[in-house]
Amino acid sequence: MIAPGTHLPRSVKVRVFLRSLLLQASWNPRGMQNLGLVYALYPALEGLYPDPQARRAAVQRHLTFFNTHPYVAAAIVGGVLYHEERIAAGEEDARRVTEFKSALMGPLAALGDGFFWLSLRPAAGAFCAALVPFLGAWAAVLFLVLYNVVHLTLRAQLFRMGLQLGDRLVEAVARARLPSRGARLRAVAAASAGAAAAYLAFAFGAQQGGVGGWLMAGGCLALGALSYVLVARKVPTAALTVLAALLAGCLGAWL
Amino acid sequence: MHVGWGHVALAGAWGALVSLERRAFLQAMFSRPLVAATGMGLLLGQLQTGLYLGMILELFYLGTASLGAALPENDTLAASGTTAAAAMMASQTGGGGTPAIWSLSLLLFAGLGLLGRAVDHKVEAHAAVLSAHGLELAEHGELERAVRQNLWGIWPYAVVYFVLNAACAGLGLWIGSFLADLPLVALRGLAWAFPAMASVAAATAAQGSHARNAALWAVVGGALMTGGTLVLAWVQG
Repeated sequence: MIAPGTHLPRSVKVRVFLRSLLLQASWNPRGMQNLGLVYALYPALEGLYPDPQARRAAVQRHLTFFNTHPYVAAAIVGGVLYHEERIAAGEEDARRVTEFKSALMGPLAALGDGFFWLSLRPAAGAFCAALVPFLGAWAAVLFLVLYNVVHLTLRAQLFRMGLQLGDRLVEAVARARLPSRGARLRAVAAASAGAAAAYLAFAFGAQQGGVGGWLMAGGCLALGALSYVLVARKVPTAALTVLAALLAGCLGAWL
Repeated sequence: MHVGWGHVALAGAWGALVSLERRAFLQAMFSRPLVAATGMGLLLGQLQTGLYLGMILELFYLGTASLGAALPENDTLAASGTTAAAAMMASQTGGGGTPAIWSLSLLLFAGLGLLGRAVDHKVEAHAAVLSAHGLELAEHGELERAVRQNLWGIWPYAVVYFVLNAACAGLGLWIGSFLADLPLVALRGLAWAFPAMASVAAATAAQGSHARNAALWAVVGGALMTGGTLVLAWVQG
């Protein structure tokens, strides 16, 4: 147990961070990440509130609705510890931590979705997918390394920022300029997808050989361009894939 | 290569592991098609099958994301299940994976993404029950038990996705026994279908990149690769 008014030991903070990796284990439509958040925070709440009534109140205030991006949630988890330390010491009202969570979970979710889900992941995924013919299985390893160097570093940094800065972490996150970096990454994703399409068309064309090979390579490139236009016009990709397979299959069978 | 129930179980175990990683723990992208399919191929002794299916499905699902409460198709099950089936088919025929086998498994199993989404909905409904139970327990002061409800949410994922991936591998094994009877013309058609599907996947990826001027960037990437390939072919005579 930690005496009231003192700071949480480092080992407890590390435990909270590690447990926050299970934030979405029981994601549900009602409370969303509520169970995951309480699970992560519990070692700290146990230490900060030796009194069972106070501890119960602390657990209950974090069992309410909570949902944000699972990586940037680290910043909120850190910030919650920052506030809970002050609440336990009697320096703050318990409402502050609830307001902190409510104010940040939406904007941080948008930031995390935009950078990680819609920029970094597509860029790393398309770039490494295009490298499969050259690197083989190492392309998958490279993908994990490229992605997780950024992911794990930012996740740990965000947790530390939350712990040290509390409400002021918003300014620090804004300084990271994630949206502008995301735009560049999205261009990498699109270029890599084009490169992968071209490589596959030529590789399979060469495998076929002769006139049929050139026909296959050219046909695939044309099909890719046509598909791009059709996907933009909301034609379902599943239907498009089956149609393309049928068309190419018939051509291949007869040639 | 001898294939049997051990491989089916292995496919189930890997599928369960990556499905857990996708939602419940860490999210370090072991669950992305490129990694999930490559791992599955490696474990089942058909690395090339895993690589090429992983590559195509990675491109196909590049732009999908779980935003807010929206639930996208389950790209992990699509990748692991399709690869498990294709690898077992390839092993059953006694040779390595071929574009014809990859096409066939893509056409037969890629709909797994939709099945996975339906399963995810069910598992979330179960987690809602856990959440309500957690609230009740906290109300009664049983805090340790309330907090532990979070971990009970993991098991349904593991069990359901183990069964689904093992079933895909089993189905692949069964389908593989009929592949030798397919006429050559059908196999040639299926072989041509693979690069065609790859082209659609790449176009979907370029769209899913959400880049400004995505078409221009895709053309730049394609032109660079085309130029490089032609130069290489010229140099090699």
